[in-house]
Amino acid sequence: MADARHFDAWCVPAWTDRAGPEGAETGIAEVRPRRATGSEAASPVLRYPELDEGSARELAHRLVAHRDRLADLPASELAHLLGRVGRRFLEPGDPLRDRALQLLPSTAGISPAMARAVLDGMAADWTPERLEGLLRADLGRPEALDAFVPGAAGGRVRAFGPRLGVHLSAGTVPGVSVTSLIRGLLVKSPVLLKPGRGDVVLPVLFLRALAREAPEVAAAAAVVYWPGGATDAEDELLRQADLVVVYGSDATVESVRSRLRPTTRLVAYRHRVSLALVGREALGPEMERAGDGDARPPAPRALARAVALFDQRGCVSPHAVYVEEGGDATPRDFAEALARSLEALDRELPSGVVDPEEASRLQQLRGTTELRVAAGEGRELWHGGQSPWTVVYDPDPAFEASCLNRMVRVKPVGHAEELPDLLEPVARHLQTVAAEGLGERAEAVCGMLARIGVSRITPIEAAPWPPPWWHHDGAGALSALIRWADVEPGVMD
Amino acid sequence: MRETGLAGDAAAGFRLLKERLLRLFDRGVAEPLDDDAFDELAREVFAYQFEHDPVYRSFCANRGRTPATVDHWTGVPAVPTTAFKHLRPGPDDLDAERVFLTSGTSRGARRGEHAVPDLELYRASALPPFRAALLPDRARLPVVALVPSPGDVPDSSLSAMVGFVVDEMGAGEWFVDPDAGIRVEELLARLERAEEAGEPVLLVGTAFAFVHWMDALDERDRRFRLPEGSRIMETGGFKGRSRTLEKDELYRGLEERLGVPAARIVNEYGMTELLSQFYEPVLTRPEAMPAPTERWHVGPPWVRTRVLDPRTLEPVDPGHEGILAHFDLANLGSVAAVLTEDRGVEVEDGFRVLGRTRGSEPRGCSMAMDELLEVARG
Repeated sequence: MADARHFDAWCVPAWTDRAGPEGAETGIAEVRPRRATGSEAASPVLRYPELDEGSARELAHRLVAHRDRLADLPASELAHLLGRVGRRFLEPGDPLRDRALQLLPSTAGISPAMARAVLDGMAADWTPERLEGLLRADLGRPEALDAFVPGAAGGRVRAFGPRLGVHLSAGTVPGVSVTSLIRGLLVKSPVLLKPGRGDVVLPVLFLRALAREAPEVAAAAAVVYWPGGATDAEDELLRQADLVVVYGSDATVESVRSRLRPTTRLVAYRHRVSLALVGREALGPEMERAGDGDARPPAPRALARAVALFDQRGCVSPHAVYVEEGGDATPRDFAEALARSLEALDRELPSGVVDPEEASRLQQLRGTTELRVAAGEGRELWHGGQSPWTVVYDPDPAFEASCLNRMVRVKPVGHAEELPDLLEPVARHLQTVAAEGLGERAEAVCGMLARIGVSRITPIEAAPWPPPWWHHDGAGALSALIRWADVEPGVMD
Repeated sequence: MRETGLAGDAAAGFRLLKERLLRLFDRGVAEPLDDDAFDELAREVFAYQFEHDPVYRSFCANRGRTPATVDHWTGVPAVPTTAFKHLRPGPDDLDAERVFLTSGTSRGARRGEHAVPDLELYRASALPPFRAALLPDRARLPVVALVPSPGDVPDSSLSAMVGFVVDEMGAGEWFVDPDAGIRVEELLARLERAEEAGEPVLLVGTAFAFVHWMDALDERDRRFRLPEGSRIMETGGFKGRSRTLEKDELYRGLEERLGVPAARIVNEYGMTELLSQFYEPVLTRPEAMPAPTERWHVGPPWVRTRVLDPRTLEPVDPGHEGILAHFDLANLGSVAAVLTEDRGVEVEDGFRVLGRTRGSEPRGCSMAMDELLEVARG
């Protein structure tokens, strides 16, 4: 680790006295970060152990062997323990936070300012208080993870996490994998986490720190990066798992699903899209106000931030905004205000690395939009030149996905109530709708959106940061991981 | 800028420039066109398109580029290929003789439209590079086409081009039905005849069709040794269709099954949005041509290709990867400067295509555009 040109993208406390799996001759492979910054020198090379089928099985067994130590700790104590480590990422001057902020830009391809924003936002959910809150909010009685507790309708119930959870996370948003690891450990499940290539730093640092704080707990977890796909090692781990959590494209989910035993449970966080809805009550002079202090920021500014965070790669990141007609400001005015805000944010929260494919798509989109503007199709275009932010005012109400990196379409809609029909074609992929300015219609509109599949409706400002106890894609984050055991009346009492 | 007298109606201007281009194309590909001569023609084509295509004019003017301000063809604003899916670039008052459609790579996806006012220009630009790349020995070979005939699919620019070749050779047969696919028995019989008669053939088709043809041969356990002198033009290997093979695997397969060595298989790189094509100079410079995956493409003198940094649209340093932008004089009737989504690198006297940027890789917990569009339109 002294070598700044490398980052060891694994942490396996259970491999006690050496750097690799016991008894196996495991090679170390190298890969460049997916969004490497500039020159070869700027980004460290990621190293990872080349697991084979045998060492993967051995690792799985080793993690399962530490399950009892997790089981012995009360859930609330686990929450405090994990939270004490997680909180360090928030504390200025803590070496863990410093190290994270040093490594994130070059390994995740994000700007230093973005690294701070993402770490502050993600780690806010890794504190003892938030984790305690998650346990209570999601499970009601977290003690059910420790012992049989009285059931709601008599008898006793107890909750168990899986014997082994294998978590395959995406690399798009740094920190998501730590959240996944914490969720698994909170339900007392040994976890093998394979983070995505853009998200290796935080889980490795987290688990290393946990291993110093509580080695017996850390030994039930492992973080190992490898390039995903149907390898012997990955297949073996999927066979060993009782529960698999996967984040990724529909194709990734499909691939993983096809390799599971019928008895293995799958929690899939597949591709989702989010969008914003601005009702006429939020349009007008209020769009221009400063929004300092306690006041909620005006909608265009809040939306610019929601689009810019994670460089729009989060499942919560809005792809488009529907703006109601008939307010004091027009949807086109809103688009212009949004463009101004994105331009300002480009300085405060600069974009990260845009890969050549993404840049090419953006050029196609901008050039095509310029032509369509010239053709008098009622469109307008604002963009940041070599900065990727791009706003398209597009009168066509059909939903279109963004090509990401802060590219957002502004679409007029006559009435907010028309939105659900417009979203019908992508209903199965919907997640967050960031909504404002609906006034008294809010309840009705929320009802319609939720009915077609939207699982989260939030003020725009809060869109990037769902609380830890949200129903993630429609289910409780912890309750998705556990199984219940019932003891009916007459056996124990 | 107007000394050529292009101001006037679009059709008259088109005819004037077309005649000059036909003379140029007629010289063939061997005679180089120096940069100044290319630049002069290119800017005249730009001036013509600027004048007669109001959408393009406004697009260019918004970028501050007009025939008065552009002092070199590299300054001419390029139209992205995606734009062909929404607009038909080209002079307003010219009627289209044919509208070619891009192949939809995913179900329900919007297809690009290239309106071509004059097929003669297409024929004239397509044939010389084809001849140079496939028939440097001036052979006259019957064409065995693994594409549907232009009569069956009038909106396919590839079928139209193969049609020109068949006309030129004076003999050719079509073996792909647009709905049912390859007519296997007929094609078997045709190749048997060639084999028995010792008469070499020119096979032309998409990589996709050749993959299916190899499958059909394998099912029947059939192999051919096509007579010496036979050759293959293969195209479309970069499209994101199912069941694609690596190029060297495809060529090895064709070599084994048809007896045509990889050194006599030529890849054509073309796109509906351009009337000119690019070929690997395999037959013309066999000694210089490396393994199939290392080959490169060259265009005719009336096309210039640049490799651009996708972030800035400025040329990359020599030897670096970028996206390909073409300036094709044959596109007189639509738009000459076209920005593609194809990745490439400049080599020798041409470029190597490294793949297409469309069909993106998975994007973690946010959705890849293509995938979502497919969902949305499926």
